[in-house]
Amino acid sequence: MRLTFLALLGSPVLAALLAALARPYRAWAGAAGAMLSLLSLAAALRLAGRVLAGATPTWGPGEMMRVDALSALLAVCVSFVAALAAWLGPGLGRDAHYGPGQARRFRIFSSLFAFTMLAAVTANNVAVMWVAIEATTITSALIIPLTVSKASVEASWKYILICSVGIALAFVGTVLGYFDYIHLAGESESALNWTSLMAAAPAMHPRVVELAFVFILIGYGTKAGLAPMHTWLPDAHAEAPAPLSAMMSGVLLAVALYAIIRWKAVVGAAVGSTLPDRLLLVLGLASLAIASLSLVGQRHYKRLLAYSSIEHTGLMCLGLGLGPLGAFAALLHLVNHAVAKSMMFFLSGRILDRYRTTELGGVSGLLRAMPVTGGLFAAGMLALVGLPPFGMFLSKFALVRAGFATGHPWLMAAVLALLLIAFVALLSQVHRMLYGALPDGVAVGEGNRWGLVPLGLCAVLLVAMGLGGFGLLQALLDRAVEVTAR
Amino acid sequence: MGSLFAQLAVMGSSLVLIFGLLLLWRRGSAAHIAAFTAQSVALAATVAVIARFTGSAELWVVAAMFLAVKGVVMPLLLKRMERRFGESRELDPYVNTATSLVIGGLLVLFAYIVTRPVVEVSQLPTRAGMPLAMGLIFVSLLVIISRKKALTQVIGFLMLENGIALLAALGTYGIPLIVEVGVFLDALMGFLVMQIVVYRIQQTFESLDIEQLNRLSQ
Amino acid sequence: MIDPTTGAYVLAVAQTALALALAPGLVGLVRWMKARLQNRQGAPVWQPYFELRKLFAKEVVVSNNASWLFSATPFIVFASTVAVTVLVPVLAVPLPFDRVGDLVVVVYLLLLGTFFLALAGLDPGSAFGGMGSSREMTVAALSEPTIALAIFALALSAGSTNLGQIVVRTMAEPAAALSPGYLLAFGALFIVTLAENGRLPVDNPGTHLELTMIHEAMVLEYSGRYLALLEWAAWLKLLLFFSLLGNLFVPWGVATTLAPAALALAVVSLLVKLTLLAAVVAVSETRVAKLRLFRVPELLAVSFVLAVLAITVSFLVR
Repeated sequence: MRLTFLALLGSPVLAALLAALARPYRAWAGAAGAMLSLLSLAAALRLAGRVLAGATPTWGPGEMMRVDALSALLAVCVSFVAALAAWLGPGLGRDAHYGPGQARRFRIFSSLFAFTMLAAVTANNVAVMWVAIEATTITSALIIPLTVSKASVEASWKYILICSVGIALAFVGTVLGYFDYIHLAGESESALNWTSLMAAAPAMHPRVVELAFVFILIGYGTKAGLAPMHTWLPDAHAEAPAPLSAMMSGVLLAVALYAIIRWKAVVGAAVGSTLPDRLLLVLGLASLAIASLSLVGQRHYKRLLAYSSIEHTGLMCLGLGLGPLGAFAALLHLVNHAVAKSMMFFLSGRILDRYRTTELGGVSGLLRAMPVTGGLFAAGMLALVGLPPFGMFLSKFALVRAGFATGHPWLMAAVLALLLIAFVALLSQVHRMLYGALPDGVAVGEGNRWGLVPLGLCAVLLVAMGLGGFGLLQALLDRAVEVTAR
Repeated sequence: MGSLFAQLAVMGSSLVLIFGLLLLWRRGSAAHIAAFTAQSVALAATVAVIARFTGSAELWVVAAMFLAVKGVVMPLLLKRMERRFGESRELDPYVNTATSLVIGGLLVLFAYIVTRPVVEVSQLPTRAGMPLAMGLIFVSLLVIISRKKALTQVIGFLMLENGIALLAALGTYGIPLIVEVGVFLDALMGFLVMQIVVYRIQQTFESLDIEQLNRLSQ
Repeated sequence: MIDPTTGAYVLAVAQTALALALAPGLVGLVRWMKARLQNRQGAPVWQPYFELRKLFAKEVVVSNNASWLFSATPFIVFASTVAVTVLVPVLAVPLPFDRVGDLVVVVYLLLLGTFFLALAGLDPGSAFGGMGSSREMTVAALSEPTIALAIFALALSAGSTNLGQIVVRTMAEPAAALSPGYLLAFGALFIVTLAENGRLPVDNPGTHLELTMIHEAMVLEYSGRYLALLEWAAWLKLLLFFSLLGNLFVPWGVATTLAPAALALAVVSLLVKLTLLAAVVAVSETRVAKLRLFRVPELLAVSFVLAVLAITVSFLVR
C-alpha cells in the first residue's frame, strides 16, 4: 500500500518540483506533470478498489493516512479534476495567452494545490487535515491573479482573507473538540485521529461538542461557499484562470464539505444528529436561496457558473442534513458536480479565449462559432439544472425523496421552487449565448481540437452516471454513507 | 481566585486581550504593529508560565517559537510593509472608535457566555483565561470586518491566530508539538502570501484602502 | 469592627476635617511636582491655601442675568463633596456613617455636584460657561457609569457595595489585590480620575485659554468666596478619588480600630498614598498632551470597556 499512497501524494509534489526546477520554463515540465497526474488518478482508483474489497488502507506513523470509502471517493474526484487541469491548463506548450513565467507558476502551484487537497482527504489526523486545507487556500490564492488586474487582485485578497479567517474559526472548533477528547481520554499521540474521536464520541460533553461543531460548520462552511460566508466565491472563481476555477469549484468545495461530513459524524455519535442537521438545513437553504436569486440577472458567465456552484453546495449541504438517504444523494451530487462543473469551467475558458469577453452579452452564436464547445456547454448546463439523462437528475431526485422521507415537505417545496428559478435563469442565459448573431472579430472553428477530448469524456461520464451509473460507484457511495451515518 | 498559576495565567490572558482591544482604539499602523508585538510577547510569556508550571518541555519550545516569529520576525515584516506601502493619511474605520470599543466589550461578554460550557467542563487551573482568549478571537473578527486598511486587516488576522493559540494553550496545555509546528508554518505561509497579495494590491491600486476594491460587486 | 460609639462619630468628623485640610495641599503638591519636572522653580506647596484665603476675602460679583441657582451652586457642590467625604474610606473603616450610603449614593452625590455646576455654567448666559457645561456633560456621561462599574467589580468579590466593607474584604484576602479584575478596575478608575477632576489628557487645569477649558469654563463667572468654595470642592474631589484609588486597591494602613496607634498609621499611609498618586499624576500630565475634544469619548470608552472587563472577569470567574 505504501507505493500506492506514494503515487497518490507524491506525484503532484514531484510535478511541482519539476516545474520549479525548469528555469526557464519548458513544456516538458508540463508534460511530465500531466503524466504524473494520471499516475495519481490511477493510484486513487486503486485505493478505491481496495476499499470496495473491504480493506481500509493506511500509511504512515500512527496511521497518519487512512483511506476509507469517503476518502477514496473524494480522492478519485480530486485526482480526476487535477488530471484534467494538468492536461488542459497552460504550460503544455501551445498557449498564446500565458507567458512562460505564468505557465510555470501555474504548474507549480496547481500541483501543490492538488497535493494539499489529496492530503486533506486521506489524512486520519484532524489537525493534519486542517493544515492541508489551510494550505489549499494559500496555494490557490497565489495563482488567482495569474493575469494581474485590479479585478483579479481584489478577488484574491477577498479569497485569502475570508477563507483564512474561516479556516481559523474551524481551528477553534478543532481545538474545542481536542479539548473535550483529552478531558475524557488524556493526552495521547493519536488523540487527533478520526478513529479515536469516533470511538470516544459517545462519552463527550454535549455542549462542548455542539459548540465545536458550530465553529467547524462556520469555518469550513466559509471554505465550502455556504451562505452567508460565500461572498468571496463568485469573485475568486470568476477571476481565476479556467483550470483553477475548475479545480476550486469542482473539488475544493467538496473537500471542505468532506471536513464538515467527518465532524458531523463525530458530533452525531456524541450528541445525536438534531442540532447538526438543523444547522445544515438552515445554511443549505440559505445558500440555495441566495445563489438562485443571484443567478437571475447575472451578466458574466463565469460568475454565473460560480453562483451555480454555491447553489449546488447548498443542495449538498441540505442533503447532509436529511439523514442517510440525503447523505447518499449529497455524495452522488458531489461526484456529478465535480465532473460537470469542471467541464463547464474548462469550456468557459475556451469561450473566453475566443470571444475575449467575460460578459454574457458579448457571447452569442456559440453553436456557430465553436459547435462542439457550444454543444458540450449546452449539455453541461442541462446537466447542472438537473435534467435527465444526466446524473444530477438522479441526485436531485434522491434528495427530494429524502426530504419527504424525513418529514420536511415544506422545505422540499421551497427547494423545488428555488431550483425552478435557477433552472429558468440558467437556461435563458445559455440560450442567449448559444444562438444569435456572431459578434465581429470572432473566428469560426474549434481551434484546439485535442483539448475537447477530455471534456467530451466528462460529458460521457455524466450521461453514464445518469443512466443508472456504475455499479461500483453505487457500492462506493453506499459505503461512504455508512461512514457518515455512524 | 486560586493558585498563583491560575492568577498568572489569567493575568497573562487579560494582557493579551487588552492589547487586542488597543487595536480598536488607536489609529495608525505604527500603534497597531506595536500592539501586536506586545500581544505576542504577552502570549509567549503566558505560554512560558504554563510551561513552567506543568513542566512541559514542548511548551517552552512553543513559547520560544511565538516569541521569535510573532514577536520579532512578523513585526519586522509588518514594519517593512508599512514603510514600503504605508499610507500617509489615516483612514477612518467603518465603525467609529468609541462604538467599536463598546462593541468589543460586549463581544468579550458574549465570549464569556459562549465558553461557559467549556469552562465548566475543564478541570485545569488555567480555565479562567479561556473566555478571554475567545473574547480576543471575536474582537479580532470585529477588527477584520470594520477596518478599511488592508494592513490593519492583516494585523487583525494575526491577532485572531494569537487568540486561537492562547485558547489552545489554556484549554489543553497546547496541542501536540508536531501539530503545533505544522499549524505555525501554515500561519507563517499564510502571512507571507498575504504580504504578496498586499504588494499586488499596492501595485495595481496604488493604495491600501480596501474601499477601492469594489469593482466586483454583482 | 468599629462600634458606633461617640468616638467613631468624632473620628468620622475628624476624618472629613482632615480631608478638607489636606486637599489644597495635595493640589499644591501636584503643581509643584509638575513645575519641578518642567525645570521651573514652581510655587510652594502651600500656595493654594493662600489662594483660598485671598478668595474668601474678596468681594463677590454676580452677573445681572444670574438666578438663585448661581448663588446656591457653590454651597450645593461643596456640601455634596463633603458628604461624599463622609462615605469614602479615608482613615478608618468601617465607620458608622457607612450605613447611610454606599457606592450608589457616592456616585449620585458626585453627579449631583456635577449637574449643578453644569447648570451654573449656563445660568449667567455667557458663551464660555455654556460651552464648558456641554463639554462637562459629555465627559460625565461616560465617566460616571464607569466609576460605578469599576467599583462594582470590586463590590462583586466583596459581596457588598458598601465601600467600607470592600476595604475590609480586600484586607482579609490580600491575594485578591493582584487579580486581573482588580487591576482592570484600577486602570478604569485611574482614567476616570483624570477625567472627573479635569486633569490632562482630558482637561488642562492650568490653562488660561477659554476654548480649551472644561471645568474652568464653568467657574469662569465666579468670584470671591463662591469661587473659593468651588475650587476647594474640586480639590477635595481630587483627594477623594486618590483615597478611593489608594484605599480600595491597596488597603493596607487603613485602620480598623480606634486605637491611636492604628489611626496614626492610617494618617501616615494616607499621606504616602496621596504623595505617590500625586507623583504619578504629575508625571503623566507632563508626558501626555491634551486630547482633542472629539477623542475624549474614545479614551472614556476605553475606561468603560476596562470596567466591563473587570466585572466580567470578577463575576464570571469563580
